Amino acid sequence: MEALEQLIHAGQLSPVRHRMAAELEDVNTLCSTYRSRIYRYALLSLRDPDLAESVTQDCFLKAYKARNEFRGDCSVATWLTRIATNLIRDATRSRKFQFWKAANSTAVDAGAIADRLRSPGLSPETFLMIKEELRQLWDTVATLPGQQRSVFLLRFVEEMEVLEIATAMGLHVGTVKSHLHRALTAVRKAMEGTK
Amino acid sequence: MKTTHLSAWEHEECILGQATPEMLGHLTECAPCRAEIGRLEHGVALYRKAAMEWSSECLATRPQQPHMAGRRGLPAVALRWAIAAAVLLVLALLPFHVGSPRPVQRTAEISDDVLLQQVDEQVSVAVPASMESLTHLVSTESGSGAGAVTSAPGGKHIVQTN
Ligand SMILES: [Zn+2]
Repeated sequence: MEALEQLIHAGQLSPVRHRMAAELEDVNTLCSTYRSRIYRYALLSLRDPDLAESVTQDCFLKAYKARNEFRGDCSVATWLTRIATNLIRDATRSRKFQFWKAANSTAVDAGAIADRLRSPGLSPETFLMIKEELRQLWDTVATLPGQQRSVFLLRFVEEMEVLEIATAMGLHVGTVKSHLHRALTAVRKAMEGTK
Repeated sequence: MKTTHLSAWEHEECILGQATPEMLGHLTECAPCRAEIGRLEHGVALYRKAAMEWSSECLATRPQQPHMAGRRGLPAVALRWAIAAAVLLVLALLPFHVGSPRPVQRTAEISDDVLLQQVDEQVSVAVPASMESLTHLVSTESGSGAGAVTSAPGGKHIVQTN
């Protein structure tokens, strides 16, 4: 019997951990709960919808296979994020990704996204300014070094706490904070460029 | 309270929710520092909004669930018990199966006999039913030709080869 099952059957898991273990057993519920979050993280990291989907599926498959290794010392979301982080790192190292990155074929048009975000009451001048800001920001985040970008996405898109990010990425809290400061400095410079 | 403006690093600390009471005190009285932090927050919020929009859009074009069907959480223990029960059932039935006659093969032999009998009957019918009237005509004209035509019990004419 696996370690986690032994603990469950021996009644040695706290109710919270028991719920987490049960959550990992039902892969369909797991996917429907966390899929959009993991997909978003992969998509923003890789900027390739197909590759992001592949990473997302691999993440849930890997989580299900390794569910007995989950000790419940972090949330399921953090654990999945850790698996996704490793898969994203592996994906960015692949030759296929490097090739398409060099070809810039998966570049996303930030202007088109800005168009869809336009609110009706916005003046054309203000909208153009926001569009330019977004374009600068989009490119800046895309060109951040891998870990810095991951930390930025987890903090400011997924709104994770610094400690959670440190756990998910296997980094010290100080390192996470350092990445965040550098990413914010880059964001500030991007914003200054649009003044 | 600090008399000089907050540094860029301190602005970032404020955005990260790490502001000290001293920094917060400065911000309550310094509009330029508040504006600077507000500008940075606006940038981060704008990026987040766009990121959520793009992700939702991409996700909407994809199937609802990854291909994980069939992996629904059947507890591993239950699955193992089910397999063990199935193996035991097969082992328990095995002696009966080995000791019993082979009804399938016997059925096959019977059906073979019937089939051969039917083939024999078909072969012996040299003339199709549609041409029976002609054979009757031929036999009447030729008398004792290659073979005499007799009337079979079913009303068919059978050529007797002798
Ligand atoms: Zn100030």
